[in-house]
Amino acid sequence: MNSLMLLNVAWVALRVNLLRSILTMLGIIIGVAAVIIMLALGSGARYEVDQQIKNLGGNVFIVFSRMRFMGGAQQGGTGQSLTEMDALAIENQIPQVTVAAPMVQSSGQVIYGNLNWAPSILGVDNKIYQAQSWSLAEGRTFTETELSSAGRVAVIGQTVKRELFGASDPLGQTVRINKVPVTIIGVLNGKGQNTQGNDQDDIVFMPIDTVRKRISGITLSSPKAVRSIVVQVASDRDMPLVEQELDALLRQRLRTTANDPPFRIRNLSEMVETRAQTMQIFNGLLAAVASVSLLVGGIGIMNIMLVSVTERTREIGLRMAVGARPADILRQFLIEAVLLCALGGALGLTLALGTTWAVEHFLGYTAIIEPQVVLMSIGFSALIGVFFGYYPARKASRLQPIEALRYE
Amino acid sequence: MQNAVMATLKVEKHYRMGEQVLKALKGVSVSIGQGDFVAVMGPSGSGKSTFMNMLGCLDSPSSGQILLKGTDVTRMSAAELATVRNRHIGFVFQQFNLLPRTTALDNVMLPLLYTAMPRAQARERAQHCLELVGLGKRLDHHPSQLSGGQQQRVAIARALVNEPDIILADEPTGALDTETGLEIMALFQQLHQQGKTLVLVTHEPDIAAFASRQLVFRDGLLLTDRQSSPLDAQQALADFRQHRLAEALK
Repeated sequence: MNSLMLLNVAWVALRVNLLRSILTMLGIIIGVAAVIIMLALGSGARYEVDQQIKNLGGNVFIVFSRMRFMGGAQQGGTGQSLTEMDALAIENQIPQVTVAAPMVQSSGQVIYGNLNWAPSILGVDNKIYQAQSWSLAEGRTFTETELSSAGRVAVIGQTVKRELFGASDPLGQTVRINKVPVTIIGVLNGKGQNTQGNDQDDIVFMPIDTVRKRISGITLSSPKAVRSIVVQVASDRDMPLVEQELDALLRQRLRTTANDPPFRIRNLSEMVETRAQTMQIFNGLLAAVASVSLLVGGIGIMNIMLVSVTERTREIGLRMAVGARPADILRQFLIEAVLLCALGGALGLTLALGTTWAVEHFLGYTAIIEPQVVLMSIGFSALIGVFFGYYPARKASRLQPIEALRYE
Repeated sequence: MQNAVMATLKVEKHYRMGEQVLKALKGVSVSIGQGDFVAVMGPSGSGKSTFMNMLGCLDSPSSGQILLKGTDVTRMSAAELATVRNRHIGFVFQQFNLLPRTTALDNVMLPLLYTAMPRAQARERAQHCLELVGLGKRLDHHPSQLSGGQQQRVAIARALVNEPDIILADEPTGALDTETGLEIMALFQQLHQQGKTLVLVTHEPDIAAFASRQLVFRDGLLLTDRQSSPLDAQQALADFRQHRLAEALK
């Protein structure tokens, strides 16, 4: 008897007990659906994280200045260790670095008409666009003159534009930032929230000297001091190397050998990755729970196959009498179990497709069903069929023909 | 012995029932020739069913030999025995043993599905056999749509489909009324006239009288083995119908 015929025999047997077959499949259906949904949500989360890393500008380190301590006392509020020269040195001396953008940070009220808003105020130069993957929605970047002469100009983020200008055009308008009149020359494209849920668009870019001299009002240890340097690396592979080189270069420039140097190198994508890994572990755990359901489903299959073998003992006896070898009987029941499981797997997949669609549309999660997951889940459920179907099928194949024929 | 389709040589069968050993067959030697029509008789427990299981290669003897066309089948594996049953033996059972929810045609085809025969050819053979037993117009009927006699005819067609060397029928009329039973016996006689070798188990002497040879078993031994000129089942059927008509007219 060839496999196609056996498949047909199995199909007929399953159809005869339609309700029972469906109930038996339910365990597999739920198990497969749960596993696929979990993996899809995992892939979706992974995808979102990748997007955020891209938003951060890909392979980026941020080097933060730390306060210098001398003789146990903090050297005032002016102790920022890094300068614009350090940024230049990083860019020029580490070949794998594509760009190193210096940054100072301040806070302040931005007032326009009778509205006011308190975004992050960042002093930057035009390198920041590349380093953090910003782009302009409208307007222009700073000119050389504006950068060198502490020009009273600003580029604003989408949130600031929305809060202060609403629908009207901010370009060319003058706002007051910490009482300094500043002209809006550009608006950034939005980035949305970062992984920590902070609004990345709630910012104002101004020339670095403008912030240092006109906005923050703090006397700095050095006129070129910066709070942080955003360092972009050409390739992901070079990240560990560049981290070492950054550390070595800055230690040399700052003449320090301390265990705790006055700067800190942070890898943003690493932070996001860590979060992603936590999420993946969580998802893995859920998938493991879901596979328990698959196991329970498999046991259900075994149970019903044992019932089926007992019910059809006379049929088995007859088949043996007319020439079915033990191997034929084994194959027949094995194929029936595999068919049961594979159908369950297919229905589970359908259920998973529906559910992930709903989750995406109504809950706003990203869920990605990868093709190999689909193949794997169907294959795995068929494997469950073989595993849990083998014992009942073997039992059937070992029946003695006379006893099977006489069975009531 | 040389021309025998099947032969048993000093066949014994012992069953272990706890402490006791039950001797179902105590050394039976029988030879069944080509074209024989044999009735196997005896009370229950006489060993006739065990003997039939031996002939049908459904069970193996504790000692002795079973020869099928000169080949010893005694030491064969389960798979080899299955092939022997498939190629050489046709079975007819008291309870018909048809697959439910399966058409007559598919039921008859069943033995052929365990051979390498192409499906189209198997179909043709099965259809031919159903026509032979007078069910050419019932190919697509399920067993539940057929009468007892028709179901037994399907079973007989199934036993014929592999062109076996010997057909074994275990109480084939046991579940049928007298008239239908006579019809079935007439069909067996017809097959016998076509040269088939038939062995049927029955406890009814009336039925055994349609065979040309009677084997009587008692206590695991062959008591008598006699040839007789068989009654004509067709004639018996006609008489029966006549009689019933006369009864009805009275």
